[in-house]
Amino acid sequence: MRALSYAFRQGWLSVRRSGGSGAFAVLAISLAMIVLGALLLVTSNGERLLTRWSSAAEFSVYLRDDATSEERGAIESLIDQSGVGAAREYVSKADALAHFRREFKEMEALAAGFNDNPFPASVEVKLKPEAEADGRAAALVKRLSSAAGVADIGYDRDWLGRVAGTLRTVRAAGLALALLMALAAAVTVATVVRLGLHARRSELEIMELVGAPIAFIRGPFVAEGFLQGGIGAFVALLLLWAGFALAVSWWGTDIRAVLGGGTIEFLPLRLVAYLLAGGMLVGGGGGLIAARHAG
Amino acid sequence: MIETHHLSKMYSRGLYALNDLSLTVAQGEFVFLTGPSGAGKSTLLRLLLMQERATSGELVVGGQNLAQLKRREIQEYRRTIGFIFQDFKLIPTRTLLENVSFVPEVTGVSESQQRRRAFQVLKWVGLQHRMGAYPTDLSGGEQQRVAIARALVNSPTLVLADEPTGNLDPDLSLEIMNLLREVNASGTTVVVATHDRELIRLVGRRTVTLDQGKVVEVA
Repeated sequence: MRALSYAFRQGWLSVRRSGGSGAFAVLAISLAMIVLGALLLVTSNGERLLTRWSSAAEFSVYLRDDATSEERGAIESLIDQSGVGAAREYVSKADALAHFRREFKEMEALAAGFNDNPFPASVEVKLKPEAEADGRAAALVKRLSSAAGVADIGYDRDWLGRVAGTLRTVRAAGLALALLMALAAAVTVATVVRLGLHARRSELEIMELVGAPIAFIRGPFVAEGFLQGGIGAFVALLLLWAGFALAVSWWGTDIRAVLGGGTIEFLPLRLVAYLLAGGMLVGGGGGLIAARHAG
Repeated sequence: MIETHHLSKMYSRGLYALNDLSLTVAQGEFVFLTGPSGAGKSTLLRLLLMQERATSGELVVGGQNLAQLKRREIQEYRRTIGFIFQDFKLIPTRTLLENVSFVPEVTGVSESQQRRRAFQVLKWVGLQHRMGAYPTDLSGGEQQRVAIARALVNSPTLVLADEPTGNLDPDLSLEIMNLLREVNASGTTVVVATHDRELIRLVGRRTVTLDQGKVVEVA
């Protein structure tokens, strides 16, 4: 406990005395943590939106124009018995045309030119969230596609897969970049801490001669790196938060529109804690590398 | 307290700093090591401080064979030794009190004990009134007194001094030697390496003369 207290007191002193070189180490860690933080910001929001979109899944069963009411009834009972639907609604051909006219006013001239109503009647099914994940929705769609009276089924989940795939790629590329930058930051911290170590050569020599435990000799250098890492990560989080707040105030409406009403949020507390801990670990690692040259 | 048996230390190119040295220093004794430059005085002190390892032979201090000590045991062993160097080796960025309390601090002694012990030894060397000063504010003699205070702060059983008066004038040298005599009077074994024959004559203690790594005279 005394060694820990001594290490942090001396480490903090060294951080304060390190001046420009210390600021450089903090900057290196900040940059690495900004990249990692931005990556986490994108992926955490992406995953949140994906979950939301997945839980809001639905599909449409388009009926043939000549489908009988018995066939429609059979389709609806198939849906009800499957237990995957949270809600079901029948949309007649007339309702579909009215919906088109309401939603696409700019295409009113086109709709006015229809001799016959080209829109099929449909049964719109809102899925229970778990039905999507456990595959029951896909099984029902397969059964419905061969049912009598069904013209087509609108159930495109591929885009969600594509978004998830893009997120995975972004995460992997970003993680690789962040790891590379974290490594560079650790090396920078190690170099800066080693500079301080050389400045304290005589002190270290005395410590060794009086039989100071290794924790007292090396601890301050690890603590110095650890503190530089913590400060770097804290600065990175501040900058990320400022950038996020600016982006939301400038493009908040556009973002909502692009995301279909979805909002973006800053990093959850858990990830903020991880980033801080990550910065401290990177810095502490750099300090540990440098400390191997002491004692 | 100290026993060496056929102790040798060879540096590169077959150069012996100590050659088959056998020597005994009793508990509570005050011994001078003297001889010309390169005689092996400082090498013997470095081996005693475990800054270096012997090439062959045995070095036993307080019943412990130093060659067999592990890292943690070396640390414990060093805590029983006080050292004084010609260039004082004080930390210029720390005050006198901090320079002295630094030793108990880094060996895990509680804060109140650190201050108390540091104040006591600074008072003993007559520098308690300057404990807030920095080493650069002091004369050479005063700096060496601080170094002595630092050497004594952990109550060592053995004090090693390598040319402790090398940077001081004769009056100050004698003053430092008197301090070391007082240390010895309290039962601490003191080994002083010096080439100052006049000082040895004035203090008048057992003197081991080395030359080319061997004992050539014991007086």
